[in-house]
Amino acid sequence: MILYEKSVEKIEAVLQTFIDESGATYVLLADMGGNMLFKAGEGNFDGATLAALSAANYAATMEIATLIKEDNFSLLFHRGNNENIHFARITQDILMIVLFKPYLSLGLLRLKIESTQEEVNDLIGSEEWQL
Amino acid sequence: MAIINLKEKTIQVKIIYYGPGRSGKTTNLEYIHNRLQKTLNGEIGKLTSIDTKGDRTLFFDFFPINLGKIAGFDLKLQLYTTPGQVKYEVTRRLVLKGADGIVFVADSLSSRQEANRESFDNLIQNLNYHKLDLDGVKLVFQWNKRDLDENMISLTNIKDMEEQLNSELKTKSFPSSAVTGLNVLKTVNFIAKKTVKTVIENTVFQ
Repeated sequence: MILYEKSVEKIEAVLQTFIDESGATYVLLADMGGNMLFKAGEGNFDGATLAALSAANYAATMEIATLIKEDNFSLLFHRGNNENIHFARITQDILMIVLFKPYLSLGLLRLKIESTQEEVNDLIGSEEWQL
Repeated sequence: MAIINLKEKTIQVKIIYYGPGRSGKTTNLEYIHNRLQKTLNGEIGKLTSIDTKGDRTLFFDFFPINLGKIAGFDLKLQLYTTPGQVKYEVTRRLVLKGADGIVFVADSLSSRQEANRESFDNLIQNLNYHKLDLDGVKLVFQWNKRDLDENMISLTNIKDMEEQLNSELKTKSFPSSAVTGLNVLKTVNFIAKKTVKTVIENTVFQ
């Protein structure tokens, strides 16, 4: 997959707006194969490893859903003492991983994720992608 | 599936170590990680292992490496192992998603030849699941545990292993020992070059 410069800039600008408006710490878009695609925000860790583990975590959770005959788990997030992490599948092959502080409202964050998801989807639908 | 980011000028490539249980996939990654940590200071990520208490791989082992520049692009290699045990079929299939290159680590022990064959057939099935085949993904074989020859342990000779797994593909293979490091770096070097060359030919310079 080729990610063109303009497409990357546009999508990362949307992600930066998400960070500014939601108060989240870091956002990462990864494909289901565990590759890091786009990111915004500050994170003092290895994004490549976060992408690989998140894709695996999401895929394993979906297998659990299948096993117990559940279509989908609508909420997938981990609460920590200093950092929370939320996972959302925003297209068939793209996962949005958001790190945010525990004092932020999860409900509000999810609303922001939904609107960002729409914007990213529109961009991915309109931008030139070479698969 | 390789990711080429024209803004960041990076090429990300995913390479998977596949093979039967206890054939030495994790040992390969540990050896590469240890060696590269000394030479590529700061360019190599942490080795992440998701294993059971008995040190058997439960999900995968993983680490990213920055291998310098090629045609002006930073080359980022992501190395994964799959769990070898038969029961972890689902996780093996998940890890294989988007693979660009595969190192098939075959066990040289005479008693493990059937397990090699089963694992190889399983690889083809799982590639098919992701709509991939061995024409589209680069593959190299490793005939591992050759060091055990010196300990008078019964090993299958390389010619027979070639015959069993590589007679049709006739792809590159390395006799190896993941424990001593014999041909471990050569294998990863070979598959990295071959995979990246194909990715560049098929995309950037298309």
